[in-house]
Amino acid sequence: MSDHDHHDHSHAPETRDAGSQALSEALRSSFFVVKIAMAALVVIILGAGIFTVNPGEKAVILRFGRPVGEGQKMLLSSGKIYWSFPYPIDEVVRIPITEIQKVTSSVGWYLTTPEMELAGTAPPAGPSLDPAIDGYVITADRNIIHTRAIVSYHIDDPLTAIFDFASGTNHQFNLAGISNAVQNAANNALVATAARFNVDDILTRDLAGFQDAVGQRVNELVEQEHLGVVVDNCQVQSVAPRQLKDVFDQVTTARQNRDKVYSEALGEQNRILSQAGAAAQSITNAAESARVRYVSSVESDAEVFTNLLPRYESNPQLYVQLELARAMAEVLTNAGEKKVLPASSDGKSIELRLMLNNEPPQPNSGANK
Amino acid sequence: MKKNALTLVVAAVLLVIFVLLLFTFQVRQSEVVVVSTFLKPTDTITNAGLYVKWPWPVQSINRFDQRVQTFADIPSETPTADSTMLFVNVFVGWKISDAREFLPKFRGGSTADAQRYLENMLRSAKAAVIGKHNFADFVNSDPAELKFDEIEKEIQASVEKELTRNNYGISIEFLGIKKLELPQSVTQSVFDRMKAERTKLISKAQFEGEAEATKIKSSAERQAADLLANAQADATRIEGEGKAEAAKTLPVFQQNPELAVFQLELEALKSSMNQKTTLFFDETKPPFDVFRKLSPSPVAPSSETK
Repeated sequence: MSDHDHHDHSHAPETRDAGSQALSEALRSSFFVVKIAMAALVVIILGAGIFTVNPGEKAVILRFGRPVGEGQKMLLSSGKIYWSFPYPIDEVVRIPITEIQKVTSSVGWYLTTPEMELAGTAPPAGPSLDPAIDGYVITADRNIIHTRAIVSYHIDDPLTAIFDFASGTNHQFNLAGISNAVQNAANNALVATAARFNVDDILTRDLAGFQDAVGQRVNELVEQEHLGVVVDNCQVQSVAPRQLKDVFDQVTTARQNRDKVYSEALGEQNRILSQAGAAAQSITNAAESARVRYVSSVESDAEVFTNLLPRYESNPQLYVQLELARAMAEVLTNAGEKKVLPASSDGKSIELRLMLNNEPPQPNSGANK
Repeated sequence: MKKNALTLVVAAVLLVIFVLLLFTFQVRQSEVVVVSTFLKPTDTITNAGLYVKWPWPVQSINRFDQRVQTFADIPSETPTADSTMLFVNVFVGWKISDAREFLPKFRGGSTADAQRYLENMLRSAKAAVIGKHNFADFVNSDPAELKFDEIEKEIQASVEKELTRNNYGISIEFLGIKKLELPQSVTQSVFDRMKAERTKLISKAQFEGEAEATKIKSSAERQAADLLANAQADATRIEGEGKAEAAKTLPVFQQNPELAVFQLELEALKSSMNQKTTLFFDETKPPFDVFRKLSPSPVAPSSETK
């Protein structure tokens, strides 16, 4: 027994040692692989937490649901590399802020399709508008028009936009809630502003005024509702109902014609007044010239008179005769025709008759036929 | 020993995770959580962070989105005080203001149920408020008459009153009219009226153009006449001024008025004669009587000098 045991004992340790060694080797190599795998897993997990923030967006790390940091410091900007713990410890929320967001009002416009919009066409107009399908607004003078607004805005307060406005019931963080609120503001602004503008002001007379008023109300609502956005632009498009397009066009044409006539009348007014002004100026200028000439003439006559007076007083009769003779010579020289009428045989002057009026017009020979 | 240590670490980590899952919960920034102990609400947590609780069934939590949620009701046909039928569609921004009150009021704290309740309340409030106002309160070019904003505030106040009375744990953040339309049958008659008005405007524009043009032209002609009349008056005044100025030389001529008159007559005679003047002379008068003095016989009647 002892021999047998001895024999058995002499072989068993060798066998166990070999098996243990093999098992040990296998476990050692397996644990080594597991260690490597765990190390790799740790590296992957840690590496997955590295992230960057794209230009035009901000990011917030929620650690156990709470924003990391205080105030504006919780907003992470682009240009840096950040690291966060894996979910569910940390959650990175990204918020586009500088990208201009656009939202179009969902009321006030008739039912159309993107294809029709691109083609610039409109669906055929029925005799009436169905409130369930066709959008429109009622103006202050109780007319119906179509109008729509495109509001461009950007996120000014990312934390408000994300954490104060829900996009539904799924607890997600996105800008759909804000977009919805801005759209409602645009809808309300269109309806409320149209309610205090007359149809002609909206469509023709005060397009800019209506657009400004809509934009102003959108801004007011955005501020009142603390949406955390800044409205960059609010474009408004308004048209008459398709059912009345022709008659509205005719009014426009009639008004254009009226304006043309009015403009022409203003031109005529300018011409008349300019001519009258020039004529008036000419009259006063002529009068002024005549005055100067007259005064100058009288003054020169006075001077001549003063010079001649001594000569006249020395022999008035001779002076008069001489001056008359000189004047007669000058007159006879200048006159075109001179006719000397002979005296009659009895020494008296003959009678001369002159026909001063023109001859009356001769009747047209053709008219008599 | 090393193997046991590793196993222990892994087990400890797993245990920690399990314990954390059982005993802790997160509240996100946008959420409010109601903690119930044995199904009875005992605590409300509005601040985000990690919190501890007893595992189910001792304590359970209900999460709610505490952000503003918006919805628009279904447009309903409502008469105004002056019997104008209007389709009014209202949008509402609401939020859970008291989650512990909110939870038992609606099935499982369902926000969808809450929204349905709100819609019903809104419909009643809308009908009551719209029924108190005339159509002119909704659309009016006179700011003093327009009560659009007041109507919105009245609807909001009515809904808020109802919410407070029933303590639903809901607050209204904002409310506004989204659509204001007329029944389909009325739009047809509105179009007819608009067409008639447009036709009048066409005639008016045509008449206005001609009338305004005539008015402008006649006004211009009157102004032109005024200008010329004023200019003539100025010219007369200037002429008078010239004569007054010239009259200062009168004392010079007064030294010998005969000579002065004679000089003026001579000047007048000279300036009145030009190349087109035809003069008739009597040969018996000077200086043509010279011819008679030279010849004893009278000059022939047909003689003329050019």
